[in-house]
Amino acid sequence: MSDASMLAVVKMDGELDISRRAEIRAALAIDGQPAGVLVDFAEVTYADSSAISELLRFRADLGRRGLAVALLIKSPQFKRLLEYAGVSDAFAVFDERADALTYLGSARR
Amino acid sequence: MSSVSELRLSRVAHPSAIKSLRHAFMAFLRANDVSEDCAADIATAVGEALANAAEHAYGENLSGLVEVYARVEPEGLVVEVLDRGVFVERPRREGRGFGLRIMKAVARTVSIDHDGGTRVRMVFDARYVRSQPLEAS
Repeated sequence: MSDASMLAVVKMDGELDISRRAEIRAALAIDGQPAGVLVDFAEVTYADSSAISELLRFRADLGRRGLAVALLIKSPQFKRLLEYAGVSDAFAVFDERADALTYLGSARR
Repeated sequence: MSSVSELRLSRVAHPSAIKSLRHAFMAFLRANDVSEDCAADIATAVGEALANAAEHAYGENLSGLVEVYARVEPEGLVVEVLDRGVFVERPRREGRGFGLRIMKAVARTVSIDHDGGTRVRMVFDARYVRSQPLEAS
């Protein structure tokens, strides 16, 4: 991904636990300079702190590169996990893809 | 649904085993009529203790076990996650170490001891669990 007019999209599903840490890290490795990143976890049904650690690492990397990121999360468990870990405010989290895309569109203006 | 007041599970403490342990634990919670959201939260907290054991308890020893013991008692649902590995105090790393915070957010009490391994004991509110506590033995 190198076209600055395009969004990068990361999509994962299922249960994101410690056994998938390396897979999460690899999925979140974004090359180039996209206009923003949509992390589509709409079909993730469970997450643990491994996912949070990798998301925070990812966010720090994107922050250094001036890239906006939006998380699409539908699982109530995943949303509460972010609250319990005290990192809800660290991410722009959306229920609907359209809202996430609107956010990314406004973030790059 | 019939209730099951006690659960014992044991698996090799490896990341690949955590999912099946968590699913078995969720089945135990459902058998005790715990609501889906509460069961998910409790399983999340227990999953963090299991993940810690899988990640830290045994180092290169791939045959060490992690055990889960859950029991409905008058004080609530008591869950213990045990390993017999070697506890090593690790320096705080940025973006890591959320497991204990998550456990404490969900459980009423969390206690940890490192005598001959690591034992994480969590107590969850009795209102989560509708089955009757076991008689004191």
